[in-house]
Amino acid sequence: MNPEGRYRIRRFSLTQRIFHLLLILCFLTQGATGLARLYIETNWGRSLAWIFSGYESCRTIHIIVGILMILGLLVHGCYILYKLNWRRFPFSLLNPDSILPHPRDIKQFFQHIGWFLGLAKAPRFERWNYFEKFDYWAVFWGMFILGGTGLLLAFPLTASRLIPGWGLNVAFWAHRIEALLALCHVFIIHFFIGHLRRQNFPMDRSMFEGSVDLTAARHEKSAWVTRLEETDSLEEFLVLEVSSTRQAFFYFLGYIFLAAGVYLLIGGLLNIFKITW
Amino acid sequence: MLIFLLILPDLLTAQEEIASSIRRYKEREVSTGFYEEYEVRPQRQRPLLGVPGISRGIFPYSPSAARVRNRSRLADSHWGLKFYERRRCEECHIRETKDLHTVRANLTCRQCHGLEPIAGLKHYYSPYNPIRRHAYVCAKCHEGASVSFASYLVHTPNPALLSTQKSFPILFYLFWIMIAVAAGTFALFLPLTVLWGFRELFIKKEKVKEEIEEESEKVIEEPEEVIEEIGEEGEGEGEGKRIKTRKIQKYKRRRSKDEPGRQV
Ligand code: HEC
Ligand code: HEC
Ligand code: HEC
Repeated sequence: MNPEGRYRIRRFSLTQRIFHLLLILCFLTQGATGLARLYIETNWGRSLAWIFSGYESCRTIHIIVGILMILGLLVHGCYILYKLNWRRFPFSLLNPDSILPHPRDIKQFFQHIGWFLGLAKAPRFERWNYFEKFDYWAVFWGMFILGGTGLLLAFPLTASRLIPGWGLNVAFWAHRIEALLALCHVFIIHFFIGHLRRQNFPMDRSMFEGSVDLTAARHEKSAWVTRLEETDSLEEFLVLEVSSTRQAFFYFLGYIFLAAGVYLLIGGLLNIFKITW
Repeated sequence: MLIFLLILPDLLTAQEEIASSIRRYKEREVSTGFYEEYEVRPQRQRPLLGVPGISRGIFPYSPSAARVRNRSRLADSHWGLKFYERRRCEECHIRETKDLHTVRANLTCRQCHGLEPIAGLKHYYSPYNPIRRHAYVCAKCHEGASVSFASYLVHTPNPALLSTQKSFPILFYLFWIMIAVAAGTFALFLPLTVLWGFRELFIKKEKVKEEIEEESEKVIEEPEEVIEEIGEEGEGEGEGKRIKTRKIQKYKRRRSKDEPGRQV
């Protein structure tokens, strides 16, 4: 055990972690109630709907949580606006700490693939690598499509005053495909990267604990750590590991969410041919 | 005895609960389950449209009636279909059973299509005429349905089919665009994650360890001492904090010692 391994770099603030936790809870609820309705013809779907006391209340819950998520998105938007460095406005967006996409990301994406194939050296990632940026912005894309079409479908009578009624057919399919895309992305790719990758193996606690292991970060995000060291601000970000009780709690939470997601994924895939699309 | 067995209905080995699935229930149930509405033997009325004088007599319907292709303008779209009374909607209209209202909301066809005769969609007095569909059909359940609302296609065509490109182009194109986006995302990120996972399996463990050790030696000279401190730290909150600041200060000092040119 090397001592430096006990140091961690602060990566997410408490607010950000709360946002993420709320997103997890909402996302899983939406996934479960939505899939329960989609799979209501199968036993699996009915048992899922049973948790939420039936087909009808699945819809109610889905709508309420959906609206909460839209509100959450708005709050998050305000949070971003509040956190932006307005004094150096357009330039603060180019700050290496920024999660905004950058041309560098495309280069690093190809370099990363080169590294997988043994053709290039591992890219030196900054604080957010291209993959994390994609994950972050994909939520916005998903929220706009799912939230927009979801609102139309939740209030079809009102919606048909704004758009022609056949727009609901279109909205319905858009909602369906986008939801499945989001579920599969999170339950396969996001989970794999966060849990199963060797570097993170049992689980990447950073989103719960708020910090990443310094040694791991030196390897994974070398550009970030180097920059912090060069500007001599690394110390400001150093924190210690939380107590092991807390860690156990984080693992517990993480694995509950993981299990829920994998349950939805496997049930959905197994029953995929048993439903009327 | 054997013949008797053949005549008898299949033996039930167990009381299978077939009402558990919407679709299978309907396959076996003779009635819709809405017993106050008849479906099995509608009392047929004379179709409103017909060729006078021809289809009267012992055989009331013209033998070619079942083959008339465009029934959409008839007041009774099933006029002259043989054995219609004894059959179920889903035997002849398979595609139409796959809509949300039927599959999920568990409505029967007749809750929308009403009693006999079921008018063709294009018959002027049909409840499906767009000028009154919202009021005659949808508003039975969707209070306040408007004309626009009624233009929702209850029997949504399968958006993947080429025929939908003609009948509902927006749905068709949107469907394929969304599928392309989804497929693109997975085509990009699924192999990427798999490769990533594999690649990390092959980072040499020793090499990583060595690097870590090198670095940690460079940074902190007395690793054992620090471990002890961490061991001591325990759960005590205030204690932990103090140790933490101390350690971080130490860390600071070390680093600046390592590279003397650097300003703290
Ligand atoms: C014996 C087979 C058969 C059965 C049973 C049957 N139909 Fe039909 N139905 C037809 C045929 C054939 C047409 C004409 C199709 C066409 O015009 O393309 C038709 C036409 C229709 C139409 C009008 C279609 C149009 O384009 O205007 C409706 C509505 C309809 N059926 C509803 C029902 C409902 C509801 C039931 C169950 C109560 C039912 N049908 C049972 C064979 C059947
Ligand atoms: C929610 C009400 C509703 C229910 C339930 C319903 N239909 Fe329809 N059906 C319609 C409407 C509205 C149309 C008018 C055509 C359109 O706009 O799609 C229609 C059209 C049809 C047509 C004409 C061809 C077509 O596809 O447009 C057939 C055939 C038909 N229905 C059969 C059925 C059968 C069989 C069932 C039961 C499994 C059924 N319908 C259940 C509302 C309903
Ligand atoms: C017999 C009652 C009944 C009739 C008639 C009926 N509907 Fe429905 N409709 C329902 C029910 C019940 C649901 C809820 C389905 C669900 O929860 O999945 C529904 C759901 C819908 C939805 C989906 C709303 C959403 O948010 O997903 C649309 C759109 C719709 N109906 C349109 C129509 C149109 C258009 C007509 C007229 C052609 C019609 N309905 C006639 C009972 C009916």
